[in-house]
Amino acid sequence: MLVCAALPLAAQSIRPRLEGRVPAEVIPVIDSIVQAAAADSLPTEPLVQKALEGGAKHVSGDRIVLAVRLRRDRLEAARALLVRAGDSTPVTPLKVTAVATALSRGVPGPTVERVVAGLPGEPHAAALQAVADLLAHKFDPDSSAQLILDAARLGVPHDRFLDVATAAIHEMQRGSTREDALARVRAGLPNLPPPARPAPKGVSDAKRPGV
Amino acid sequence: MASGGPPDLEVVARVLGGDGEAFGIIIRRYEPGLLRFATRMLGQQDAAADAVAEGLVRAYRHLASCRDPARLRTWLYRIVANRCKSHLARRSSMEVRLDDAPPIADAADSEAMVERNEQMERVQRALATLPPDKREAFVMKHVEGLSYEEMAQATGDRIPALKMRVHRAREALVAALQEQEEVL
Amino acid sequence: MTHIDPRVHEALDGERPLESLPPDLRAEAERLLEVAALLAAAPVAASVATRVMAHLAEPRPSRLRRLLQWIARPQAVTFHLRPVWSLAVAAALAVFALLPGGGPLELGPEEGIAEFVLPASGAHSVHVAGSFNDWRAGGIALEDRNHDGVWRATVVLPVGQHEYMFVVDGERWVADPNAGRYVDDDFGRENAVLIVRRASR
Repeated sequence: MLVCAALPLAAQSIRPRLEGRVPAEVIPVIDSIVQAAAADSLPTEPLVQKALEGGAKHVSGDRIVLAVRLRRDRLEAARALLVRAGDSTPVTPLKVTAVATALSRGVPGPTVERVVAGLPGEPHAAALQAVADLLAHKFDPDSSAQLILDAARLGVPHDRFLDVATAAIHEMQRGSTREDALARVRAGLPNLPPPARPAPKGVSDAKRPGV
Repeated sequence: MASGGPPDLEVVARVLGGDGEAFGIIIRRYEPGLLRFATRMLGQQDAAADAVAEGLVRAYRHLASCRDPARLRTWLYRIVANRCKSHLARRSSMEVRLDDAPPIADAADSEAMVERNEQMERVQRALATLPPDKREAFVMKHVEGLSYEEMAQATGDRIPALKMRVHRAREALVAALQEQEEVL
Repeated sequence: MTHIDPRVHEALDGERPLESLPPDLRAEAERLLEVAALLAAAPVAASVATRVMAHLAEPRPSRLRRLLQWIARPQAVTFHLRPVWSLAVAAALAVFALLPGGGPLELGPEEGIAEFVLPASGAHSVHVAGSFNDWRAGGIALEDRNHDGVWRATVVLPVGQHEYMFVVDGERWVADPNAGRYVDDDFGRENAVLIVRRASR
């Protein structure tokens, strides 16, 4: 089973990654949090990343442990939300992480549930990112979710959801009220102008992170 | 505003002498300012990127006509300003545009950051209400830091006219900002 | 139209010192300078260097062909040039760079390109650290090639969401002021959030 396979991997992989990067005295504590998360079928990589982040930022061991625990709790809450939303497909680490991130970016739980429930059997990350962007600009959560769900229903590909959100934000920045901005974009769906160009500065000089 | 690396005169000579890759030096040197200028003029990053790219291609193709390579910077501004005017003339006010400035700070930000980003938004919106010639004048003078002499080279207009335009642009911008504050 | 005192205009034109203005006029002048500073700092379009150099490297069609293309071109919409530029971008991404120091770059299907930019004049080094490189503070260096105080790096990253911060001079952790998306790092600061999209669509 997946859980049993994950546990020994987690037990083997965590300590070498943390050694020299995180205060030595908290490595065992963090390791046990990660192992428990793995046993609970929660994603573990976000927990390891949080520990490495804390170490890199020279945060005290106690605070790193606190942050890792907090992140674990958020992942658990995210998974519970997915279950409540009636997601019948396997709850993958990617889904849990996407929901946890949306929650930490300020998307209210009920809004996340609505988006998840409105996209049964589909990936939610892009939709939740788009809603989070709209909320960052003080759009109403329900209306924001509705716009993205409408876009999905009308056949807008998932990788264009961010463009839908950006369109509404730009309408608002041009002077429309938020309600009008959402209405204008909705009225134009599923048609969208060409997607934003990838950031091409010095493509030939692009580096790959060497982890 | 060549800073570091070979002077513009030398780079232009190299490009005209057949070293096309040396044009990359010119691009890296002036692109940030040109992109900033075009983005402020057009209010859309994608259109600004197009205008600057078109401008740079034209600059390359017509480099021999740059009479004074020591004034390359203002020559480039002239070309890009013309591309911006061309884009503005073609623009329909009804089209939904996706490629404007990226999303600004999210609600979880510090108050100071949120406030600053809101101010940035307000200021950009106010600038967008200015007619293109006044917008260009304000951006060249106060954002790109061109002197009136440089602006005259870039626009082909006389300095007294440019001064008047900048003064009117300042007044129009202040008025637009005051109007926004009244609405809020 | 709002009237601005001529002395304010003179000060802003550099024809009289700002300090010589009475307090209310000086405040007016400073407000305009503040507006200019905000405009200077607001986000701008991404670099076009690669696409320009790629375009210049393509053989130019004959005059007749260019004329025929001009005649056939659809009119008067902002996007009508895009197919040409899209080709140039695709060429830049799929083929190889002409800029000095370039080499082959091939992107996987689940990879995209991220550009990191930080205005940091006075800095001696700028790195970016994030969830894409295990938060290694010295891992990815930005460069200030123009010596204009603007540091940049272009990085190939997996598609998806990433958190990051800049590290200035090896010790000062700085949130990306232009990221647009932020999240609490649970250590009293904020990480910028980056969403990397597929490079080829």
